[in-house]
Amino acid sequence: MSAAKPYKRSWKNLLINKKYQLRFTLFMVGISTLLMLGLGWWVMRVANETTMVAVGSVWGTRCPEVPAMLDVPEQTLPPAEPPAVPMQLDEPGKPAPPPPPPAEPASDEASAAAGSADEPAADAPPRRATITMGDSSLTLVKTVKKMPPDFGVKIVAYWTCKLRQAGKLEALEHGRLRILWVLIGTGLVLVLGLALYGLKMTHKVAGPLFKVSLYFAKMRDGRFDKVWNLRKGDQLVDFYEHFKTAHAGVVTMQKDDLARIAEVIAAAEAAGLGEHPSIVALRELQLKKENAIE
Amino acid sequence: MSSDPSAASTAPAAGRPKYKRKLSNYLLDKKLQLRYVLLVTILSGLIAGALGYMIYQQKRAAFESLERDMAELTQGTTNPGAFDDTLESLESEDRALVYKMVGVGVGLVVILSLYLLVMTHKVAGPLYKVSMYFDKMAVGKLGKVTPLRQGDMLQDFYASFHEMHDAVRARAQAEVDTLDGALVKLREAKNQADYRGEAQSKLDDALDNLEKHVAQRKQHLA
Repeated sequence: MSAAKPYKRSWKNLLINKKYQLRFTLFMVGISTLLMLGLGWWVMRVANETTMVAVGSVWGTRCPEVPAMLDVPEQTLPPAEPPAVPMQLDEPGKPAPPPPPPAEPASDEASAAAGSADEPAADAPPRRATITMGDSSLTLVKTVKKMPPDFGVKIVAYWTCKLRQAGKLEALEHGRLRILWVLIGTGLVLVLGLALYGLKMTHKVAGPLFKVSLYFAKMRDGRFDKVWNLRKGDQLVDFYEHFKTAHAGVVTMQKDDLARIAEVIAAAEAAGLGEHPSIVALRELQLKKENAIE
Repeated sequence: MSSDPSAASTAPAAGRPKYKRKLSNYLLDKKLQLRYVLLVTILSGLIAGALGYMIYQQKRAAFESLERDMAELTQGTTNPGAFDDTLESLESEDRALVYKMVGVGVGLVVILSLYLLVMTHKVAGPLYKVSMYFDKMAVGKLGKVTPLRQGDMLQDFYASFHEMHDAVRARAQAEVDTLDGALVKLREAKNQADYRGEAQSKLDDALDNLEKHVAQRKQHLA
């Protein structure tokens, strides 16, 4: 491992201790999901209630009523054309156009002018269909429907109000749906983000454990290589320091053994016991130990 | 990670009393445990707080809408007291909701923190125990390793440590036997040959040193 080139974490190696990492990550994700689902359901229930109250409030707002058509006897029907109804709806910030002046009742002159040769004269009394049945009589008066004076203005006001209500209802429904989508979106982002973060966070614990496990395997096989430092950002730094002292302790133990063995071999050789089977065995042990700490 | 190693370790499996976790020992590795506990607790608190605020906001909007409508409806009525009563009841309902949410939030944070503390302790415990063995190994002590407590995590990691420790211990034991045997045989050979002079005194010193060394090793392996 080169000191100049720092170790780069790879996504492929993120899950190195499945049991530990998944347990902690899934717990974190599970708690968040439960909270999001439980409280999200509560939020939606309250949002539905609020929308219902607001919808009730909108429906409860009274719109100006549409005036009923007036029944007018036929002869009083005004000949004049109905007044022009302003079709421009209210715009925010602009004052409403003044209502048109109410239609003037038909004047006598107009009525006279409207008369034709077939019709009776203007000053003639109106014709009535009269049915006589014995002592009583019933007079049938022909009537026509007539618009009240401010009919157009009131119709416009009525439909303006209705359209406003529809707009408000639509806005309320949009608001309700927006809350739902925001909750779903936030929940998904949270769960995915937490899953990734959880894996990365637990990897910083699982990484050092994995590294120590590799050294364990080497030590088990009688190899006491140099122990390298942890990667930047790894956790369990204190634990790793304990491991390093343990490893160093075992290496020291090997070195102490080697020193004692070398001393005995040297003394035995000086005393002419160099080829003694015990010295041969000690040389083998010495070689093994030297290889182990290389 | 410091204090009495025996506190976290267990006696041999057969016949030993069941280890009882102590509340005071739950925070073994503050950095590791508090990091996870705080992360999950703060996150849960934030989610609960944000959604709780949304619930309150919606409730408040409904309340205000109702208040407006009722004010319009009761305009000019002879009994405004009924309106006030209804408003008061709605307001107390709102307050109760806030208290309920705060209570649930605090309860959630407390229960979650305690549970996470126990959960992380099951990771910190084995690490603490292994650290104690590491400290012993650092001074050459290779005593017997006892199993983890029931419910502890990192069982695989502990098993690999156990395996390594046993292998190192077995090797050390074999080496001590070899050295012990060599010591006996070399003393016999020295006595049979009846060496004299400097060579013998050097060999005597070397064998004495080896004997002390082997005795120490035996003591550490006990």
